[in-house]
Amino acid sequence: MQKVGIVGFYQVKLLSDANYGRYEMIFEAVRGALDKAGLKKKDITTVISCTNDYYDGRTISNAFAVEAGGAYLADESKVEMDGAHALLYGMMRILSGNHKLAVIWAGSMASCFPYHSARLFETDPIWERPSAYVNDITAAGFQMRAYMEKYGVSVEEMAKVVVKNRRNASKNLLALEEAQNPNLTVKDVLDSEIYADPVTELMVAQPCDGIAAILLAPEKQALKITDKPVWITGVGYNQDAYYLGDKDLSESKSMRLAAKMAYEAAGITDPIKEINVAEIFEAYAHEELILKEALGFAEKGKGAFLNSEIDGELPINPSGGALGGNPPCGTGLIRIIEATKQITGEANGYQVEGVKKALATGQIGMCAQNNIVYILEGGN
Amino acid sequence: MSKRTQRKSMGYIKKDYIRTRTMPGSWYLSSYRFKFNITHFKPFQDKLKERKLVGLQCSSCNRVFFPPRLICGKCFVKPDRWVDLRETGRVATFTITYLKDLETGEVSERPVVLVQQDGSDTTYTAQLSPDVDYKDTYIGMPVKVHWAEEPTGGLMDIQFYDLVEDNSKDLELRKD
Repeated sequence: MQKVGIVGFYQVKLLSDANYGRYEMIFEAVRGALDKAGLKKKDITTVISCTNDYYDGRTISNAFAVEAGGAYLADESKVEMDGAHALLYGMMRILSGNHKLAVIWAGSMASCFPYHSARLFETDPIWERPSAYVNDITAAGFQMRAYMEKYGVSVEEMAKVVVKNRRNASKNLLALEEAQNPNLTVKDVLDSEIYADPVTELMVAQPCDGIAAILLAPEKQALKITDKPVWITGVGYNQDAYYLGDKDLSESKSMRLAAKMAYEAAGITDPIKEINVAEIFEAYAHEELILKEALGFAEKGKGAFLNSEIDGELPINPSGGALGGNPPCGTGLIRIIEATKQITGEANGYQVEGVKKALATGQIGMCAQNNIVYILEGGN
Repeated sequence: MSKRTQRKSMGYIKKDYIRTRTMPGSWYLSSYRFKFNITHFKPFQDKLKERKLVGLQCSSCNRVFFPPRLICGKCFVKPDRWVDLRETGRVATFTITYLKDLETGEVSERPVVLVQQDGSDTTYTAQLSPDVDYKDTYIGMPVKVHWAEEPTGGLMDIQFYDLVEDNSKDLELRKD
């Protein structure tokens, strides 16, 4: 496979209620990424955007962001999933051999609409919606309960994930201010407002405003643009059943298969030893444990026993993860940016020592229905 | 790009957008018609009218779907064998929702459950009887269908699930 390199990236500061509009936020991210790489508008050959019609309040929602995203009279199309899926599309465009620079931008503004209410419309209108109130938080409640019951994991273990990620987020200047808390305790997490038992307020990755952008280039161009490219050496993606009732909620089969695909592509046989840092998209605290197990870092039900602190056995989410701010559609792309920063040594304040291989994941759907995994490596 | 233009373009963002105006708006479609194939589910609906439950079995992998599904994703075929199911089932997992009454401000705790109907391999999103205290819900709790007074052949004929007495010892222990 031809090598595809990440040659630039930019993430705006995550805000719970941004004091500027969506156009400017997209422009800041894409312009910022281009400036970082020292490129111009005319260098862009393809643009992949990632937003959601429902979140943007208009149909064909990429149409309005043409100018802001650098897609004016350029080859452009949209992915209505997670930013990490948009990166996959961008990567495919590069691998087709027709493009020299792909811009991928993703994100949304959750301050403009009730995010969790919008996700009510994700359930099936015929078989699920009439019978009960199920949105993403309720579904997370189902999953957390099923996981705790099956493996005998206590709710304190979920709270510990929150404490770790929100403490890590406090060192990340771009994380959401409301999510940053270096002094959080397990008790605080369990005592916060209850959303859908056992899910409490602090266990939910707070939806916020934010856009991120990544630039991809084929090997030859990447080496011209930057002396520190980060290569995508493996990618895997998988989709689970749609109906909540049709799958085993206590594990993530789709992530297990996605990880297998990515490890095979990158030639990884022992993930826990070979991967130095992982950025996992955990929309809820328990997802970090379930996804960690599916990625092969721990046995089923034993995710809580793996030390994932910055100086631990395998650092997970040193940037704070999605719990450090979750702009709808953008979070997966931010995870990839954070993994890239760890490789290039730009993670100020939360840098993991000696990172050679990093893993980043994205997800979409209730109970992480669809998962995507990237393996990133540095070096020329 | 020269450093000068670079500074200019980024400075532009930070300076100009200190204040934003929010435009209140709403975005909804006044109606939407969800269409689905009733011919395929007719036996299910006919049985509901008689206060009976049936699941749809995939003749390739033998999984029984309740509620019935149009396609078995695993085998990629239409399941076509109807099997009778009992009215009883067990709570596979649950959560408790806290819904606020907008007028009175009262918060009502309601358990939302996934019920695995005895004899089926999948679970169904449902509610428990209002008589059940939400604190008493547990995984493995035996439940029974509470039928609507006049079944019409729709999914809403299963109004909610009633609690049935639990005789199994190990589950009693777990409840404590």
